[in-house]
Amino acid sequence: MAAATGQPADGSALLASVPRHRPGAGEVLREAVVPWFGVLAVAIVAQFGLEAVLGEYGARVAQQAGVYIIAAVSLNVVNGFTGQFSMGHAGFMAVGGYVAAFVTYYGSMLWFGTAEKMAYPVVMGVSLPLTMGHLLMLGGIVLGGCIAAVLGLLVGLPSLRLRGDYLAIVTLGFGEIVRVMLEQSGEQMFSVEQIRAAGPEVWLRVPVGGALGISGIPKYADSFWIFLLAAATCLIAYRMKQSSTGRAFLSIREDEIAARAMGINLTAYKVRAFVFAAFFGGVAGGLLVHAGVPFTPGNAGFQVSFEIIIMVVLGGLGSVSGAVLAALILSVLPELLRNLAEYRLILYALLLIGMMLGRPKGLLGVREIWEVFGAKKTTGKNGVDTGGKAGVA
Amino acid sequence: MTNSIPPSPGGILLDVNGIGISFGGLKAVQNFTLKMPRGCLYGLIGPNGAGKTTIFNLLTGVYQAQRGTITLDGQRVEALAPHKIAAAGLSRTFQNIRLFGDLTVLDNVKLACHLRGRHGIWSTVLRMPGFLAQEKAITTRAMEMLDVFGLGHLAGEQARNLPYGDQRRLEICRALATEPKVLLLDEPAAGMNPSEKRSLAGTITTIRERFGLAVLLIEHDMGLVMDICHNITVLDHGEVISVGTPRQVQDDPKVVEAYLGAPDAGMQAEPDHGGTKVMQTNGHGGGGGSGDAPAGGSHGTA
Repeated sequence: MAAATGQPADGSALLASVPRHRPGAGEVLREAVVPWFGVLAVAIVAQFGLEAVLGEYGARVAQQAGVYIIAAVSLNVVNGFTGQFSMGHAGFMAVGGYVAAFVTYYGSMLWFGTAEKMAYPVVMGVSLPLTMGHLLMLGGIVLGGCIAAVLGLLVGLPSLRLRGDYLAIVTLGFGEIVRVMLEQSGEQMFSVEQIRAAGPEVWLRVPVGGALGISGIPKYADSFWIFLLAAATCLIAYRMKQSSTGRAFLSIREDEIAARAMGINLTAYKVRAFVFAAFFGGVAGGLLVHAGVPFTPGNAGFQVSFEIIIMVVLGGLGSVSGAVLAALILSVLPELLRNLAEYRLILYALLLIGMMLGRPKGLLGVREIWEVFGAKKTTGKNGVDTGGKAGVA
Repeated sequence: MTNSIPPSPGGILLDVNGIGISFGGLKAVQNFTLKMPRGCLYGLIGPNGAGKTTIFNLLTGVYQAQRGTITLDGQRVEALAPHKIAAAGLSRTFQNIRLFGDLTVLDNVKLACHLRGRHGIWSTVLRMPGFLAQEKAITTRAMEMLDVFGLGHLAGEQARNLPYGDQRRLEICRALATEPKVLLLDEPAAGMNPSEKRSLAGTITTIRERFGLAVLLIEHDMGLVMDICHNITVLDHGEVISVGTPRQVQDDPKVVEAYLGAPDAGMQAEPDHGGTKVMQTNGHGGGGGSGDAPAGGSHGTA
């Protein structure tokens, strides 16, 4: 290349000529491997600590918060990093949720003969959240995420080519289409005999309960699984932010014309961000449906999408830890204000307005929590623990 | 320094042949032709609204040329998308600075390294050794680039917080990090004071030599253009009216007319006062008058 362009053999002139750094075993361990153990540790602590500290009800709220962390962090990749405005995240969550519910419910009925929760294996006095049912759930969640991602590709490819508000309109429509289609789905089958006897015409109507929603899903989404996936989502999103992909996302948000001139393929990166968000939105939905939360077509509606958008905006557009923090606050706050009856909605709104006036860029802006407080952080070390939930990075 | 064209072993690097674009009835650029040798520092001047920035937008693919061809180092680029043109080796700065304001100075440059090295998705998610090596190389190189521009100590600052002159320099630095063959600078001296302009002129000549680039420069400061450019094309109303060395261009009656108005048109043709002024005073101190090419000019080029 240097010869072709007549560039001097000055070593500093080209990226390719920078001496290759060979990361040592210690560095690889610290940067690549240890954070995953952090993720695992968060999950284990959540599984065995949450209920003991917060009680049964508190643990349920925390589990919901964990699911919303996944939703908010993944939406943040589109709305925060890349600066696009998606209003249909609930639609992807609902798709993922219904797919996972379908797999677990009908899979359990057909193979295990019942959709009751299986007995947990006990090893050395500790009951472990890992049964065949859990594997079925995980398969369903991954499948749900993948189907959500494919839908994300189909929705994103045409609308992300255009500039402006098209994505907002299209995604808003997408959420509503999902909701209406789910309302038209077939009745849920509750007995094994009925399921065995069902012909293709029954399956083609997608028997997931119509407007009533799907029910009877075994609650396999223990704290372990929710916080394992939540922490993993945070880690992946944070690593993405620190990579060439993340810089490309952020540059698109900052200035599309300049990003293009620097060689960024706008559509390719926008679609990548969108598909990423759709996948993890689907995963969040898959967990939610297994957490004992009633799941109806209303879950795809725009109110849910808005809740997640508020989390992203409140936490700071582009901040992973900000989205985590906001998801925690906005999941716990309504519970704390429950005693105020309907006045809590007013207070909730006032708090939001006050926050937007005081910190219009969200709580953290584009920075991470450890960049705001305390010393400068070097890439890849374990971050400040954000409320014991998902601060690993 | 002399304004002679440096030896160009590779011949023509950027060959623009008869490109044109119209916006409705407005012929913004017509039949624009430009032959840039390797290693050349080329000036593109003309009164306000002559179509200079439009030509940059055509070259970089922001607008698609309706006619003509653009060949960069043997590769036809006129129909390519902007990011592909950047990959082919054409990089630019903007008249109104377009930095990534929320990103740090370092990240602005690291982003621009993207074209010559990026991470795969799995490598990113798993942060594999290849990722660590690549990231380290990108950071090293970006820091080197910043040091060339004396911006190294500002690496951690948000780009939006930089003083104006540093923002201009960072934009050039970022454009260079894409490893271009041709660098397009759109009024890099706009809004700068004389001492900043002097240092900018030094920077432009230095980077041309150090990185072996061809530079195409749009500039209103005639002193700067006449001093550092080897060749100049003058544009008026979207058409080329003069091509040549700084001396030839300055002596061309058509150029004088474009800037001062035709002698007999007098009252009708409104003279461009800004252009008149820089043309006559020749920018900053020491340079010759408009008829006298300031060879060996006032800018230290070291």
